[in-house]
Amino acid sequence: MARTLAMFTDTSLCIGCRACQVACKQWNELGLEVPDWTGTYQNHTHFTDKTFRLVRFIEEPKPTGDLAWLLMSDVCKHCAEAGCLDACPTGAIYRTEYGTVNINQDVCNGCRYCVSSCPFGVVSFNETTGTAKKCTFCNDRIHNGLGPACAKACPTDSIQFGFRDDLVTKAQKRVETLKAMGFKDAQLYGADSKGFLGGLNAFFLLLSKPSTYSLPEQPKLPQRNVVVDSLLSVGSAIVIGLGALLAFRDREQGDGNA
Amino acid sequence: MLKTPDWELMIVWYFFLGGIAGGAYFTAAIADNFGTVRDRAVARTGYLLSLPLVGMCGMLLIADLGVPRRFLNMLAAFKFWDPMSIGAWMVGVFGLFTFVSSVLSFTSSEKMAALRRKIGLVGLLFGFFLASYTGVLISNSAMPFWSDARLMGALFLASGASTGMAAVSLLMFVTGATAGEGWGKVKKADRFSMIFELLVLAAFLFMLGSAAKPITTGHFAPLFWGGLVAMGLVIPLVLDLVGHRVRALAPIAAVLVLVGGFILRYVVLMSIQA
Repeated sequence: MARTLAMFTDTSLCIGCRACQVACKQWNELGLEVPDWTGTYQNHTHFTDKTFRLVRFIEEPKPTGDLAWLLMSDVCKHCAEAGCLDACPTGAIYRTEYGTVNINQDVCNGCRYCVSSCPFGVVSFNETTGTAKKCTFCNDRIHNGLGPACAKACPTDSIQFGFRDDLVTKAQKRVETLKAMGFKDAQLYGADSKGFLGGLNAFFLLLSKPSTYSLPEQPKLPQRNVVVDSLLSVGSAIVIGLGALLAFRDREQGDGNA
Repeated sequence: MLKTPDWELMIVWYFFLGGIAGGAYFTAAIADNFGTVRDRAVARTGYLLSLPLVGMCGMLLIADLGVPRRFLNMLAAFKFWDPMSIGAWMVGVFGLFTFVSSVLSFTSSEKMAALRRKIGLVGLLFGFFLASYTGVLISNSAMPFWSDARLMGALFLASGASTGMAAVSLLMFVTGATAGEGWGKVKKADRFSMIFELLVLAAFLFMLGSAAKPITTGHFAPLFWGGLVAMGLVIPLVLDLVGHRVRALAPIAAVLVLVGGFILRYVVLMSIQA
């Protein structure tokens, strides 16, 4: 396997221009959608089958009474332990040699288990193609020596593309800098490869706690309970089976032949 | 924001019919292997009921796909840790078992009947699987409520048993196969399954705590408490206990159990997707 590639989104540098969102739409030919008018600058409200990059506009109340602008360009996290990939029954969702997660559109048959298995609500179903869609990490571009379209378009380097280990080191330094500047809640999201779905290959620097950005504080792999749930089902089957066995063994009783 | 898979009515029907198919088959196989010769009607009814139901299950699953013509792609991979992958395989394998058992239920040769009983013993494992894996499937997702429910598979299995047995007893009543003692035994097994289902349901709700809110409070609460708990379990049990000498009450109880089983799948699937 080649060295793992990653995208590091430093939200402290985001100016909310949405160049990434547009570049993503253009390169991947995702098409237009009716905007959602919800009283904020954010559009759309969530990922769709035509929106793989999404700039979140968050207004966080400050202790002083006014609001802080938190801007964050969100994207598929390309988890090292990916719920969608584990859920996919056809093998359409696969991991590339660079560690990114992709959906083979020619294999996906639209069962939608991946949609319900993404802890971040990224994977979306497309009614026209009948398949699941999500960020491809610009699979075509990275295999031709180019970075993802969103990272290329970002004018402030809020989205950086590179080898994961390099980016993590860089990100850790950036958190130190921001903390020294007084951003006491500055933190990395998904950079650690221990416990956090094995680490996110698209990780973030946040200026507030994850839930402020609608991110789960501690995302968990959906498949973690398969064994327990199955064993409990087996237990249930044994009880039911024994009950039926006793009912049919018992030759004295039975109220059907009255 | 999490996304729901939009598994709606077709999948509700699939979960419901899959439960009945599994329940009817393992009841038949148990009656076939451990009952007397006079329980043969139970075995035949159960086997013959499970066959068309599995067929319908397969068709519902295929019809619900985004690209139905690619349904065979499910069989291009086998992931033993993935309920959806094993499930797709098992619907096919269990379908074969129901077919062979159904055909062999017409045999008059004792040798073939012995073979049918052996096949039934293996097939009942797949019946148990089909009735429960759908619960394990949704409880291993990122969805709230579903993923909090450790007993989802166990509950679906108990419901598959109670509805499968209710369907067999109803079918025996309709076809006039109630003469032998088999019919009474199915009802007895069904009574046991319903009591067990109530216990599992109580444990299910207790373990979920406030995570069960999508079904215990709000829009779906009347359907859950009234449709499943009262109409689908408690009333049939009462009818069965106080009125088991009145023949006409038996089919009514069976129909109520079946409706309750459908409501269980409906509220579980739709409550967080509506």
